[in-house]
Amino acid sequence: MFRSGNKIDKDSIVKVIASAAALSVIAILLAIGYELYTNSLPSISKFGLSFLWTSNWDVSKGEFGALPFIYGTLLTSGIALLIGLPISVGVALFLTEEVKRSGRLSQSIGTFVELLAAIPSVIYGLWGLFFLSPFLKNYVEIPLNRYLGFIPFFSGTPFGLDFFTAGVILAIMIIPTVSAISREAIRAVPNNQREAMLSLGATKWEVISKAVFPYARSGIFAAAILGLARAVGETMAVTMVIGNVPSISLSLFSGGYTLAAVIANQFTEATGKLYISSLIEIGLVLFLIALVVNVIARALLQRHQIVIRV
Amino acid sequence: MLEMKNRISEKVRFTSGEISKFIFCPKGIRRALAKTTLAIALIVLMAIAGVAIYLFQANSQPQPQKYQLQGTLNIAGSTLVFPLMNSWTFAYHQLYPGVTVNYNSIGSGGGIAQITARTVDIGATDAPLTSAQYSALPATVVTIPESISAVVPAYNLPGIKNGLKFTGDVLARIFLGNITNWDDPAIASLNPGISLPNHAITVVHRSDGSGTMYAFTNFLADSNSQWRSKVGYSITPNWPTGIGCKGNEGVAGCIENTPYSIGPLEIAYVIENPSLISYGAVKNAAGNFILANLTNIAAAAQAGASVGLPAGNASWTHVSIIDNIFNDTSAANAYPITTFTYLVTYQQQTSKTQGMLVVSFLWWVVNSGQQAGASLGYIPLPQNVVSLDDATIKSITYNGIPICTPSLCPGS
Repeated sequence: MFRSGNKIDKDSIVKVIASAAALSVIAILLAIGYELYTNSLPSISKFGLSFLWTSNWDVSKGEFGALPFIYGTLLTSGIALLIGLPISVGVALFLTEEVKRSGRLSQSIGTFVELLAAIPSVIYGLWGLFFLSPFLKNYVEIPLNRYLGFIPFFSGTPFGLDFFTAGVILAIMIIPTVSAISREAIRAVPNNQREAMLSLGATKWEVISKAVFPYARSGIFAAAILGLARAVGETMAVTMVIGNVPSISLSLFSGGYTLAAVIANQFTEATGKLYISSLIEIGLVLFLIALVVNVIARALLQRHQIVIRV
Repeated sequence: MLEMKNRISEKVRFTSGEISKFIFCPKGIRRALAKTTLAIALIVLMAIAGVAIYLFQANSQPQPQKYQLQGTLNIAGSTLVFPLMNSWTFAYHQLYPGVTVNYNSIGSGGGIAQITARTVDIGATDAPLTSAQYSALPATVVTIPESISAVVPAYNLPGIKNGLKFTGDVLARIFLGNITNWDDPAIASLNPGISLPNHAITVVHRSDGSGTMYAFTNFLADSNSQWRSKVGYSITPNWPTGIGCKGNEGVAGCIENTPYSIGPLEIAYVIENPSLISYGAVKNAAGNFILANLTNIAAAAQAGASVGLPAGNASWTHVSIIDNIFNDTSAANAYPITTFTYLVTYQQQTSKTQGMLVVSFLWWVVNSGQQAGASLGYIPLPQNVVSLDDATIKSITYNGIPICTPSLCPGS
């Protein structure tokens, strides 16, 4: 049937294998979604949509609401973006505009930034627990609390294991992703844009703010969204520094909880149908959030034809 | 013509010479061949030596048992007992080299789910099965308390070492968030002569589900009615206040990092790291403040078991050493926050070979294994619990016939 030397037959074999591989990825994605949905049915039928906006998580009373976890996930990811995005864009600008792009300095700093992505998240968690948390508490949180404590975000008693520390850890973790994509977005700015500005007598800052940024803006935005997607799903490092308290507080210095962290913490010892299915529904919510965020980011990137190299 | 023939034969001879040279002679091949032969000879020699040594040892060493068990025993469950289980499975394998014991430390909930689904031979759980879990089981199980655990209130108070005194009620009020300062009169009146800092208390607890927290909240619920109605007890309680840290080591790390913090810690950590962390004494029913150690924890288990434990195949849902000794004024030296961890298996085994492995392992664990655990800082079961466990293990049957034999259960 598949005679050797017959080019068409070989091609068709490759085609079958390749399409099977491609389809299997889609099938896995659908299977994960389906499995999460069917296993969370007991919880969905018991709580309905109120699962998403009730805030009581009491295992012994059988009451489960996901709001504190959704809040914690969005808040820590927001902090991560707020801190991580400016740094990442700074890194990207430095690597593309300030130093020779293909020079040794640009290459080596670029490599170091990418190495941040290679550190396992449990290492970030350990470092966060034993170094970053006490450091932030003593040198950032306590001063902020003392002088700006009247602002609700900085009120309360700083403890070091809270939304803020989790946000900072996440900021560090998303820098490689965000800066790599921002760099590509800035690289994609045609040189004639810069040259036109320079020929009008613009300074470097004017070139960056008036020519480079407007052109690269949506690419950087997409980078931010992809960073957000990474932050939303991060589990281990956050679990170790967020304090794991299912509460909703405006203060960044109070303990919180995220969707991923509650699954990691509680799934192993969970007993009872409703409890387990509530945890799986938390997984479903996380899955959907991550999916939506990723789809938005990729759509944006595609519109601007930026190749993701991460 | 002759000349020509000669030339041909010469040529042929030459050619055949070349062939023979090719087959037998070239130096490289000969050397390689020699090396291979030497290597094979060495391997064979080593194999013979190995077999000889093995046979010699097998003959010279006294066999611990009359016959060797063969097979694989699968156990799954509690993460709390994992270090102990790990040393047990190793030591048991030394004794019965034919038996491999796999312990999957997937959590108590997972252990109960797996024994319910009959995918493991034994399940390990920190808390006794609930009535819902019992009713989900396809057949009768036996519950075997196999190790003792205790929870201490660990704290980080600069300048204050071990032995700060607490009552269950004061601990409950601290963990409810009602007592918020270290120099609160409720704490100060228990600790005359100690200057307590005027500093806010930071409460630390486990973030993951844990038998340690089950025991601790059980004690708080016994001690304080507000705790009982508001929080109750659970492996994942809904903590009214405080910060959650992952795992026993996580709680220890959070306390060490945070001055003026307090949190419940499993005893093994403070026994292994006595210089790292301070912990308090807790008042027992007799009115004594007990600083947990191996002796008074064993005393608590002994006293708790002597109040009466159910038969192995009955429901253990409401069994609690903490409850049993909570009002037992005769147990003067008992540490009040003491609890069992359990192994669960079916009373009627469905396979004779697996049943023999189950019985042999369980018997070893509750008898000889207790001493193996003691050398690692674990508390051996008191004699009355061992006797109950022995009776329970003897009640395990295959086809209606008890599996225990004197050789499987030595000393029975």
